[in-house]
Amino acid sequence: MLAALFDNVPLMIMLVGALVGIASSLVGTFLVLRGNSMLSDAIGHAIVFGIVIVWLLTHQQSGPVQLVGAALTGLLTVVLTELLVRTRRVKQDAAIGLVFPVLFSIGVLLLNLYARDVHIDTHTVLLGEIGFVWLDTVTLGDVRVPQALLSMGAMTLLNAAFVGLFYKELKLATFDETLARALGLAPGVLFYGLLLLTSGTAVAAFDAVGAVLFVAFVIVPPATAYLLTDRLWLMFGYGTLVSIAASVSGYYLAVAWNVSIGGMMAVMTGVLLMLAFLAGPHYGLVAQWLRRRGQRRLNEIRTLAVHLYNHEGSPEQHEENVTRALREHLLWDDARARRVVERSCERHLIVRAGEALTLTSAGRELAREILEPGRQGARAGGR
Amino acid sequence: MTQSLHEPGLALHVEDLTVSYQSKPVLWDIDFDVPPGVMAGIVGPNGAGKSTLIKSVLGLVPSVAGHVRLLGLPYKAQRRRVGYVPQRSSVDWDFPTTALDVVTMGLYGRLGWLKRPGRRERDEAMAALEQVGMTDLARRQISQLSGGQQQRVFLARALVQQADVYFLDEPMAGVDATTERAIVDILRRLRDDGKTLIVVHHDLQTVRSYFDWLLILNVRVIAQGPVSEVYTAENLKRAYGGQIALLDETGFLSDRASGS
Amino acid sequence: MTAFLALLQDYTIQNVVAGAALLGLISGVLGSFAVLRQQSLLGDTMSHAALPGVCLGFIIAGTRHMGSILLGALVTGALAALVMLLLTRMSRLKTDAGLGIALSVFFALGVVLLTHIQGMNNAAQGGLDAFLFGQAAATLRSDVWIMGGITLAALALVAALWKEFKLVTFDPEFAASLGMPVVWLEVLLTVMIALAVVVGLQMVGVVLMAAMVIAPAVAARQWSHRLEDMVWLAAAIGVVGGVFGALLSALSRGLATGPLIILSVSVAVLVSITLAPGRGLVWEAMRLWRGRRRLRDQQVLTTLYRLAAHHADPVYRSEQGMLDTYHGLGTRAALRKLERRGLVEWGQARPGEPGPERRWVLTPAGIAEAERILASLNGEGA
Repeated sequence: MLAALFDNVPLMIMLVGALVGIASSLVGTFLVLRGNSMLSDAIGHAIVFGIVIVWLLTHQQSGPVQLVGAALTGLLTVVLTELLVRTRRVKQDAAIGLVFPVLFSIGVLLLNLYARDVHIDTHTVLLGEIGFVWLDTVTLGDVRVPQALLSMGAMTLLNAAFVGLFYKELKLATFDETLARALGLAPGVLFYGLLLLTSGTAVAAFDAVGAVLFVAFVIVPPATAYLLTDRLWLMFGYGTLVSIAASVSGYYLAVAWNVSIGGMMAVMTGVLLMLAFLAGPHYGLVAQWLRRRGQRRLNEIRTLAVHLYNHEGSPEQHEENVTRALREHLLWDDARARRVVERSCERHLIVRAGEALTLTSAGRELAREILEPGRQGARAGGR
Repeated sequence: MTQSLHEPGLALHVEDLTVSYQSKPVLWDIDFDVPPGVMAGIVGPNGAGKSTLIKSVLGLVPSVAGHVRLLGLPYKAQRRRVGYVPQRSSVDWDFPTTALDVVTMGLYGRLGWLKRPGRRERDEAMAALEQVGMTDLARRQISQLSGGQQQRVFLARALVQQADVYFLDEPMAGVDATTERAIVDILRRLRDDGKTLIVVHHDLQTVRSYFDWLLILNVRVIAQGPVSEVYTAENLKRAYGGQIALLDETGFLSDRASGS
Repeated sequence: MTAFLALLQDYTIQNVVAGAALLGLISGVLGSFAVLRQQSLLGDTMSHAALPGVCLGFIIAGTRHMGSILLGALVTGALAALVMLLLTRMSRLKTDAGLGIALSVFFALGVVLLTHIQGMNNAAQGGLDAFLFGQAAATLRSDVWIMGGITLAALALVAALWKEFKLVTFDPEFAASLGMPVVWLEVLLTVMIALAVVVGLQMVGVVLMAAMVIAPAVAARQWSHRLEDMVWLAAAIGVVGGVFGALLSALSRGLATGPLIILSVSVAVLVSITLAPGRGLVWEAMRLWRGRRRLRDQQVLTTLYRLAAHHADPVYRSEQGMLDTYHGLGTRAALRKLERRGLVEWGQARPGEPGPERRWVLTPAGIAEAERILASLNGEGA
């Protein structure tokens, strides 16, 4: 029964895809929140260098030593970037873009020199092939389990444990680094730990999705979650959901169109992001637009009230507090002027008598509230 | 009121201006007039919308309602007659360029497309640098200048615009006393030549001695007019609310604002 | 030497060298603006995003036609930049996330299209995925002409709009107050990076293009105080780095061209950051060291002065050992230097005085100098 489960190739592929997404977005959430997303791009590319070096030294591509070794080169990228920034000659984004191409170049040249006949295909290195994960299996008891499933599962657990253990420290270090340092939480060490795990995840995800698609799994699900919620723990939930949805839908679409499965999964994370970007409940474009329009209309009404209030009882009242002034002084077009006056009348903020516009007591109160919030508060307190 | 000249007698005429950032209003129904040939200050607490007012006048920030006239015409028609000194912190001073280069940028608007600044422009820029006492540092890279010197360069860039109305956004922020005196002297000279200066200012202590026209702002107009009439404890209290308590304790208000 | 000349006469190598030079030229010039506008990684995003364009160009043309492939790359590269801008301007996502999203999702789309093309079993597909790492050796003369045309167009645009680009990069707000169409100029500068990316596709590929945009500009920045100098120098560094990498690859037979070009320009960065006069780290370290040395000399001199003042004896003779204990370090080198400047003398001890025979004495010039230093210290303290 269990064996049948592990022999189910589509299920295994989708499972590995989802795990890549979940493990990546666990660490990616903090990278996105800290504004360091592009470090994952640098790490993903630099890992190629790490894998080549590790292979040259040990003549093996997989195994725990190899994984840690390659992951350390990810960290090396970050350290080198940091060093370059410390010289104050290069800004951080430029430093990122300088370091990883160098490491990547050295990796490619080393392959050219020493490993021509070896199975480290630069093509797979970049693209991965999640469709073949079931080819490489290990036997556990009497079930054959895909190697990638094991390593991704382990990475997911490791990342989850790290985030779970240091949840409150990570949260504080992300949102208020100074306070975290003042409290003795060593946000720097935490951050490097996070990046080490990011590198480890990159290495583990490598065979499945390659260096570049890994970036999609680190950044896109957390970014999608960030468009949907303000709560950190919910972001992990949404990140997981996006990963699973992208993995499943990506798999079936890829099979239907006979294209790269990993690529399609990454495209689907982008599609889900676009959905959140357009239709998210609070930060979505449509919601924003509706809110802004409501706000704008309200502001127009308030602008009119303030305008009338400012000139009420003044010598120029007869030329300011009339409908004509909306066109000539506020520079509103006819349609807008008419709309604002109508709305204000509906809300009983103003009354209109021919040309003249007069505030009602409610309208006067609204204007006062806007102009003198302090006084309003004081009076409310006094009552 | 017509599309052509409107209030041509005023250097700046702002009428019913409402400005919002991200649909949140930061200036409400501003009416503000500045006669020509004065040095006008704009003061108000942080977040009062002082910079926003200038930017909106210059068309850098769109307005929700209202209109602006400079010497009787909209800004677009008067661009050549207006000089602008942005906040010093608004640019990256590590940019590879010299003091002379920055000043020459003030002439780019006049040059028009495709034309490059030549000897004449360089001479004009040098003359402006001389006015602010920076001739020796003309070829210096701007990151090697002190804060005060950087501010002088910005001022020279506006001077070279040969404008009639100048807008300055906190030109005295973070500069040394010598520079502040030098800047004020230059501004006074400009005013005496009949130019109009509109200055966002943060230091209440110097308002009386620097300016002859004043706008006190806090999201709306608190008061405006000649400094002697407008700079009163009452008005400042209305603008600054609780923040003025600090000033009260130093006895500053009773000394200066009540006009004693 | 003859072997080298023979190399230069090789048709393929001519193409590669010309292509590398063009790439260095265009990316040096446009990269300068990108780096100064803090858009360093935009090149990375746009080059990765060129992959779907390459595939679309191939699908539409039905063959490996260079023109349509590069046009496709240009379109999707620019589109990715647009998506990035849209995501960051219209939502709460920051620039880094916008860049990463556009980069990875567009690249994923490219991978999907690439496998789609492979599924079509088109014999002409060969070498399409070589755009990942570039395929300099396969550069044809016609490709060089296309790259040259693109470079020329980009350079002409930069020359024509030079002062506008310069002002928009330095102070966009002031540019707007002068009535310049700031948004359009910024869009133009951004899209032009896509031109550099398109030239780089053939030579270094999508992965390494990031460094090609950044490195020449960063290297040139260290040596120059003016944008004019920086752009010229970045172009020169780009060209030299490109040609050097290309020749190295031709000489080594078998080492990939793209990585060698990238390493060449990166070495230029390293050299510039450490050695450039004024900005270089070595110079800074030397300034720091000299300052510290001077401070030490001054400290020793004022110690002598204080000792003399304490004993009310202007020609008070101080023992070397005593001065060492005062400063906790050997002071001989500092004293020798002061002696050379005529501020102290290595004089005889007074007859009958216990201790070593020779001691340090201030000269009148030394006294004056010590008083000047102390006065300036007090002045600063006040």
